[in-house]
Amino acid sequence: MEYFAGVSDALRVTFVQMMLLSIIAIGIFIIGMYINLKKWSMGSTGYGQPPSKSIWAFPKMLMYQMSQHAHVHNQSVIETIVLDILFQRRILKRSPLRWFMHFTIFVGWMTLFAMSGAMFFVEMTHMIAERLEFAEVLPWFMDPVIFRQLLSVPNDIFSYILLTGVIIAIFRRLFVAKVRESTIAYDSVLIIGLAVITITGFIADGIRTGRFWGFGIDYQYAPPAALFHVVISLLFCIAYIPFSKYIHIIAIPLALLANKGGE
Amino acid sequence: MGKRQPSITTENFTAVQLMELDSCSRCGECVNWCPTYDASGKNPGLAPRDKILRWREFMNKSYGLRARLFGPKEIPLAELEQFKNDVYGCTTCGMCATVCESAINTVELWESMRANLVKSGIGPYGKQGMFLKLIGEYKNPYMADNKDRTNWFPPDIKIEDEAEILYFGGCTAELRQRKLALATARVLNKLGIKFTMLGEDEICCGSALIRTGQYFINDTAKKNAQKNIENIKAKGAKTVLYACAGCYRASLIDWPRLTGQELPFKVVHVTEFLQDLIKKGEIKWEKSINKKVTYHDPCHLGRHVGVFEPPRAVLESIPGIEFVEMERIKENQRCCGAGGGVKAGIPDLALGVASTRVEDALATNADILSSACPFCKRNLSDGRDAIGAKELEVEDVIVLVAEAMGIDLSDTPAE
Ligand code: SF4
Ligand code: SF4
Repeated sequence: MEYFAGVSDALRVTFVQMMLLSIIAIGIFIIGMYINLKKWSMGSTGYGQPPSKSIWAFPKMLMYQMSQHAHVHNQSVIETIVLDILFQRRILKRSPLRWFMHFTIFVGWMTLFAMSGAMFFVEMTHMIAERLEFAEVLPWFMDPVIFRQLLSVPNDIFSYILLTGVIIAIFRRLFVAKVRESTIAYDSVLIIGLAVITITGFIADGIRTGRFWGFGIDYQYAPPAALFHVVISLLFCIAYIPFSKYIHIIAIPLALLANKGGE
Repeated sequence: MGKRQPSITTENFTAVQLMELDSCSRCGECVNWCPTYDASGKNPGLAPRDKILRWREFMNKSYGLRARLFGPKEIPLAELEQFKNDVYGCTTCGMCATVCESAINTVELWESMRANLVKSGIGPYGKQGMFLKLIGEYKNPYMADNKDRTNWFPPDIKIEDEAEILYFGGCTAELRQRKLALATARVLNKLGIKFTMLGEDEICCGSALIRTGQYFINDTAKKNAQKNIENIKAKGAKTVLYACAGCYRASLIDWPRLTGQELPFKVVHVTEFLQDLIKKGEIKWEKSINKKVTYHDPCHLGRHVGVFEPPRAVLESIPGIEFVEMERIKENQRCCGAGGGVKAGIPDLALGVASTRVEDALATNADILSSACPFCKRNLSDGRDAIGAKELEVEDVIVLVAEAMGIDLSDTPAE
């Protein structure tokens, strides 16, 4: 059976190694977030208060701000989550093009991430079920082969959506003078990581399915290509978040919540 | 050898603010709108995005992963000095917060950076350092005898000893832009509204200290806010009227925060108060002002607290006025350039911003550029003089109201 988007025994990458890699990525993420939380919690839990020494200062201040009455927009948490965090209306208000770019990356990225998670869950459940000999009582779609087929169309659609956003982002960074001039390494790393993940995803898929974006590379390279994509994704999607501009994925929703959607 | 100490502290930042440094997506929207960045000839250091980036780097050098593993990296004093110069080149207008895609409360962030720098002995900027001494000694930043706040009122002005309504005049209107204070008092008198004032017991609202990051020194701003609140209470006031945007915001937002208590009275801007009376049909206009008038939203009244409509409603109800809007208004308003200590600290920058705003007004062909704050009036007048736009009159809404009510203000004493 193939696990993790086509990484098979042919590559001698065992299930255990794959799990190890995931755990390392998650471990790095947790350490990074701990350092960030510690750094944020060096602030106070109220205006004009002395800096805190407890790691709980950040959650405490966040809850405090969320419970306060805001003078300009005093909107509800639900409104902030739906309209500001998910729909990202603050970006739309400023620039429809930038909103389109960001929204396609966000939707593509998050959905592919969720689908990978679902695939992982189905594979794990199925494997455990097989070991414990109750695989036949699982619903039909919990068979990894069927589940993979079910996901294949949405997988394509959201990959195109992500690709669209990434192309616009790269185009802006390269060809819009104002954006190009203000680009620093902090920004480039984010976009390069994103581009590499997207491109390797397409190539790995192309090699496996024989579609043109596999560039006619022989099927025998499908497993290493998939592995490369998985490793890069784990590193960028998870491990690198706390140490790079990827932190905005976590910090912006928090800022929106703390400031009730902002002024 | 002892371990190197971080070059910066996290004093005066809240935990959420430190997180906000990481939430800047560097979209650059704030840079497109910042008035001081514009007026400085696009000095990159003044760009809000750049200030966030630099402080985040300071934080990471001092407390990031590398700092935790190998010790903090030193930030040269010259770099911190340069940062100070840049962070004080900001009027705290709030435009960057309004457009920020990440909803960062930038103004509070600038004020925290300033307070942090003051605490470490690097801030404040230039003449702003005098605020504390002046307010401590004179109770106002103009070095005026505090008795002079209201003792110049002509004898016809009737101020009660105690009343449910109190007019908090503020240092600038009582000691400098006196026409505005006189207009407010006479309008209230003519409307038959009994009101009281604090007179020589009034103390600077604290705006200058708070905006420049000096509020915590000796707890001056807190103590002053507390004294003002107590004195207002002692006068029996339930509603406090303000004709100054700076005092209004300080009272509404900063006083409760400094004292940790809800205010025991309602904070109302005089234009809100008048709008209400107009709705009830209680204002009789006696004269018409046959002029084209535009309105500049003071940052501290508009964007900071959301009072946009009342001044417009008042102007539009005055007979004869043809009301026109400028390019950038309401939440997108362009700052007059005076706030955040810039007028005192970097007057040239304040003038540059004001000139641009006056040009906005000139583009509408208005005869009068009005506002609802004595500090805006002062700086916009300076901006007008700087570009020689003599034909443009700069006047406060309350003065126009007085005029339309047939009130004579020609006896206003000089400063
Ligand atoms: S508050 Fe106003 S002046 Fe200050 S950085 Fe923001 S936009 Fe610029
Ligand atoms: S608008 Fe906000 S997110 Fe965008 S660059 Fe400025 S501070 Fe950063």
